[in-house]
Amino acid sequence: MFFSLYTISLLNQKSIDLLNFLPPLAQMWTEVRTILPSTMDDFIIEFSEKIEPSVLKVLELARDQLYSRPDCPSSAETAQIIIDYSWENLNTGTWRDVDKEWRRMYSYGCLFKVLSLCNGDPSQAKVKEAIKTCDMGLLMGAAIMDNILQRLVCILKNTMKLKSTKVEKSEEPCSKKMKWECVSEPVINPARAVPRIQCPSLERFRSDFLDPQKPTIIEGIINHWPAFTEHPWSIDYLRSVAGCRTVPIEVGSKYTDEEWSQKLITVNEFIDGYILGTEEKGVGYLAQHQLFDQIPELKEDIRIPDYCCLGEGEEDDITINAWFGPGGTVSPLHQDPQQNFLAQVVGRKYIRLYSPEVTENLYPHDSQLLHNTSQVEVENPDLVKFPEFPKASYEECVLQPGDVLFIPVQHWHYVRSLELSFSVSFWWS
Amino acid sequence: MNWFGFGFNGFGQIIAADVKCKVSTPVLLSDARGSDCRVSGSWSSRAAVIHTDSGSRVCVSGFLRGSSGQVCVPESEGCTDASISERHVTVSFTRRVECWEIQQAQNRLVWSREQESSGQDVALPLVPGGYVVPRPPFFRPLCAKLCAVSLALGTEHAVLLTASGTVFTWGSGSHGQLGHGHLTSQEEAQVVEALWGVQIAAVSAGGWHSASVSAGGDLYMWGWNESGQLGLPSQSVEEEKLRARRPGDALVLADVHKGSNDLCVDLAVNQAEEKNKDDVFISIQAFPALVDIPQVSEIIRVACGSRHTAAVTGDLYTWGWGSYGQLGHDTERSTDEPALVKYFHSHDMRVRDVVCGLWNTYVSAVPEEPSSHKHTHTE
Repeated sequence: MFFSLYTISLLNQKSIDLLNFLPPLAQMWTEVRTILPSTMDDFIIEFSEKIEPSVLKVLELARDQLYSRPDCPSSAETAQIIIDYSWENLNTGTWRDVDKEWRRMYSYGCLFKVLSLCNGDPSQAKVKEAIKTCDMGLLMGAAIMDNILQRLVCILKNTMKLKSTKVEKSEEPCSKKMKWECVSEPVINPARAVPRIQCPSLERFRSDFLDPQKPTIIEGIINHWPAFTEHPWSIDYLRSVAGCRTVPIEVGSKYTDEEWSQKLITVNEFIDGYILGTEEKGVGYLAQHQLFDQIPELKEDIRIPDYCCLGEGEEDDITINAWFGPGGTVSPLHQDPQQNFLAQVVGRKYIRLYSPEVTENLYPHDSQLLHNTSQVEVENPDLVKFPEFPKASYEECVLQPGDVLFIPVQHWHYVRSLELSFSVSFWWS
Repeated sequence: MNWFGFGFNGFGQIIAADVKCKVSTPVLLSDARGSDCRVSGSWSSRAAVIHTDSGSRVCVSGFLRGSSGQVCVPESEGCTDASISERHVTVSFTRRVECWEIQQAQNRLVWSREQESSGQDVALPLVPGGYVVPRPPFFRPLCAKLCAVSLALGTEHAVLLTASGTVFTWGSGSHGQLGHGHLTSQEEAQVVEALWGVQIAAVSAGGWHSASVSAGGDLYMWGWNESGQLGLPSQSVEEEKLRARRPGDALVLADVHKGSNDLCVDLAVNQAEEKNKDDVFISIQAFPALVDIPQVSEIIRVACGSRHTAAVTGDLYTWGWGSYGQLGHDTERSTDEPALVKYFHSHDMRVRDVVCGLWNTYVSAVPEEPSSHKHTHTE
């Protein structure tokens, strides 16, 4: 009796393991095909005349290949031609002026490259590359086919989850601990402290802070966020939700530096290289990136502050940016053209605020590109070059997790992270 | 004299009706023969001015009117020079220049200009009084005082050579391609002051980089170096090398100017990226830099594609972006060091001239005379 029970339980165990190891290849490709148009005629390609007929021809070829050979989609080579040619056009002129049509073309190139990678039983490396390609399309392209790249990423991510039977280990050894730096902890002068207020009513906020344009720290309005409750944001959580996703990282101590540059790496690579091991690579900062558009799962963890409805703009026009980095990231003193709610989720930041009235003592850069940025290093000012700087009055604070700082429009602000930090900013009008 | 081609062949612009979209060693262009034959390349096509007993005409290979093929342009009968772009072919005759749109069902004349037969024989895109671009307004006047003898047009900039050997540039400066030491764009022609005092004999312009050859045979380059097209250390080339050694890594690096509403820094001079092993990579070179090709004493001509460069020394050297075989080294690898194209050397040919399409290279060469041995090249 005992023996047969034991055998049965063994067999059950075995079948469960098999399911885990069975590559869901047929399942993934089937899923992918369901989100593609069912026939070639349904796959409509429309571009303005600005796009040369030659590259359009290549795109049509890719589409024809996809539907003529259902088990073997467009060649990677055809997709790469579209990617390379549209990439060159994305780099022509200033980013602002790049025709949306070229960004759409780039997205199509990424789409076909992903389809060629997903063919058959793709290895984990290929699925990773496919996710990266989707991200390149999402970051640099423009939405096509009802944002198909976003839907593709979901399928690919689920495939990754099923494929890995254990938690994805990064390349760095697990024993590498997070660097706890001895950052200088600023002592806040009570005379200059940004006032704090607990959960004000809409009216109170409008009359006391928005209308007179006074900075304040609002407490108690984001504690209900899933980012604090159901899914507390942590490095492990971010790895699980977004580890394989590619994001733009700023490298260099601050954007006014000559050595400053941007690179595109995965969240895992960012955490491994710049959060857990900052010494070799310098300072890296996932800054001013609309991460929540790219990764809708993270958007579910946050909420738009109610006070934004006091503005004139639409909710859709509110820009939500992620700011994620180690201790020591610095945003030099600058001003923005919209009202800002800076919500602190993880870690603490030292922030200093100057009113636009003292602008003349802050020595903004001359150039068109940087006229909203001060030349002064706030915590280490060169008083020979900038003698009037000490005259400028300011407010300061250490922003804690759970705080929301209201930065009125055009108010100068300087931010330094004191430790691993994740903030969410809401730009509204 | 024969013309050879290598690089992007997606529309059969090198080898007609060939499925292979990359040609990575030089191939003879069967139709481009004769000493007067001139070749011009766009992204998807190639034009050759063919001289026969019955006259001269332009023959286009590549993408034309919806499909790939090889077709002669009847309107070009009697032409002396031609330049091709995605939608147009510009043709010069003895007394006039014309620009034809060639992608529609019927070829359409979109611009023309009569000219007195000038004593100076200037090559396209220069025409007496200015130059021609393949989009409205087709004719751009140039100040006569400049005494332009040669003009090279990049994707968004122009490099001009004057009779006195001075170089002027204008257009977008975003990638340092103007050579003035900053990234500001210029609407008006401005002297490349760093070359003051050097007599320049030839100029060339690529996607976002520029080249000039001095009378003494030195090569100066400036602009974008993201694929090593300036012959300076390139991070992406280094990473490609590393990837080749570790095929498991799926590292994709893109160098993108993300302007948008964020803060692009106004960088000056060299934008260097530091790497672990204290190597310094150059992404943008905003001042002319001397390009040294080991064991080569004199460079005669230079041509630039979108992200690669080719130089004639009697042999041919290429460097930069190579993903489509446009370097002619029988590989799709990019390189940031000028490398000999062995084909011409091993076939005992003397390279005379080079012209680049966006993603390909066209070379004219003649059989080497046994008596006139240049220094033997050793690798």
